Amino acid sequence: MRPYIAFVKKEWLEALRTYKVFIFAVVFALLGIMNPITAKVTPQLLETFMPEGMQITLPEPTALDSWAQFYKNVGQMGLIVLVILFSTLISHEITKGTLINILTKGLKRSTVIYGKLTLSILLWTASFVLCFGLTDIYTRYFWDVSILHHAYFAGGCLWLFGVFLISVTLLGGILFSNSYGSLLTTLLVFIVLMILGIFEPIAKFNPTWLATQNLNLVQGNLSPDRLIPAILSTIMVIVLLNVISVIAFNRKAI
Amino acid sequence: MLALEIQQLHKSFGSNKVIDGLNLVVPENSIYGLLGQNGAGKTTTMKMTLGLLKIDRGTIKVFGENVHYGQTPTNQHIGFLPDVPEFYGYMKPQEYLELCGRITGIPEPLLKPRIQELLALVGLENAKKRIGGYSRGMKQRLGIAQAMINEPKLLICDEPTSALDPIGRKEILDILLKLKGKTTVIFSTHILSDVERICDHIGVLSGGKLALEGNLSEIKENGRTDIIEIEFTSKEQLSQFRELDATKAYFSSDNTSKLSVEGSRLYIETESVKSTQLHVLKILAEAELVPNRIELLEPTLENLFMEVVK
Repeated sequence: MRPYIAFVKKEWLEALRTYKVFIFAVVFALLGIMNPITAKVTPQLLETFMPEGMQITLPEPTALDSWAQFYKNVGQMGLIVLVILFSTLISHEITKGTLINILTKGLKRSTVIYGKLTLSILLWTASFVLCFGLTDIYTRYFWDVSILHHAYFAGGCLWLFGVFLISVTLLGGILFSNSYGSLLTTLLVFIVLMILGIFEPIAKFNPTWLATQNLNLVQGNLSPDRLIPAILSTIMVIVLLNVISVIAFNRKAI
Repeated sequence: MLALEIQQLHKSFGSNKVIDGLNLVVPENSIYGLLGQNGAGKTTTMKMTLGLLKIDRGTIKVFGENVHYGQTPTNQHIGFLPDVPEFYGYMKPQEYLELCGRITGIPEPLLKPRIQELLALVGLENAKKRIGGYSRGMKQRLGIAQAMINEPKLLICDEPTSALDPIGRKEILDILLKLKGKTTVIFSTHILSDVERICDHIGVLSGGKLALEGNLSEIKENGRTDIIEIEFTSKEQLSQFRELDATKAYFSSDNTSKLSVEGSRLYIETESVKSTQLHVLKILAEAELVPNRIELLEPTLENLFMEVVK
């Protein structure tokens, strides 16, 4: 247990001193504030720039527009930032050789994987909660939120999808030992999942559902139990990916 | 007890056979110099000993225990210093050693004093900056500290001095010398003078196996060629010596000796070093000739190295 804690501490120090924590905090805080603000001011902006004499009736923005912004921004930008920042998670250590000292001290290779997963999931969770919380607070401040359905559940789905992406990125880094390998693996997996999503019978098990159906949930068009298969399959895939990561890392020449 | 025992080790990278039936033993508490040209397989051998590289065939034992690829319990006996040790540049030496100490399981109350002791040993007790800004020499010294943190019974250093300036080299060698008798040290190098300074055992790796190995002084003893070198003040003095009747008489009666000349130096290769030396000194004294130097030629490690690597 002590080596694990020491390694997680090291990961924290690394994230802090290489400004990863800072970047996460800034990006996700900005996104969190921007979501409700954009929803609020877009109609006013449009009105201001509208040519003289032109008349378009824009519907009054609602809490739904704010959450639409959230799932558009975090579901794209947020996840891309997440994958890019974690693409060097292990590949960097393998190429630089910083793990040699640590592993020859008797640190279990699996502990390296668990330590890295722990801190990246914690960092993602904290960033997500920050972003989600800010959007939630401002949305409540500006609008009536009684029209929303399952807002927290929908958010949880996107969070779980983030954990899935972290696991894919980590495995990619172990297999290819560089950040491009990491990024390409994640991209490839995402594309394959999108293609698989076309086939109706298996679509409900597809992890991408967790990142694409959120607004339908919030609007009340989709009941949460429709997502249970996707949640269960994603959790299973995450566990499987991490088991493969440990096995692959155990066999890796360093 | 043998600190390290390698038997019939084979390793190839693709079609390139790097290690080809290597046998190597390192006795406990020795300082073992592993010599070899660049690409001879020194680093490969060390990495296999640490379980970082897969073995094709053969066995490696550390203090009697088999080494396994990947997770290997034998690493708890070993401290390793890679040729270019890589650290987390954002950490301070103290923090880095704390991490290492906690990984190897040093009890918390003992950790701080142990770190202080090690930093003093390698002369970094006042280094408070982050490792990122350190020179190679400083990193190498920190490398020794991290390798020594668990008080390993076997310290493996991969070319610890190759990239350093003369002062840095001397510092590293002095630190290693301080460990003599307490820890078994294996270090690879291609700098022969380093080996002569601190090693008691050597092995020369060539063509994937040891071309020469054993106790350094014994190797030198066996390699002795029994040559007396006399350096005269000038060529004239040399020919004067050779023209002396006594000289001619002595060397014509003793047909086991061979003479050769190089500039103002005379080399006498002989089977009976002592009596030859005595006679030469007598002749010189009677003729009142004083040469610059008379000495028994020691075989240099360089000559031995060249011979076996050829």
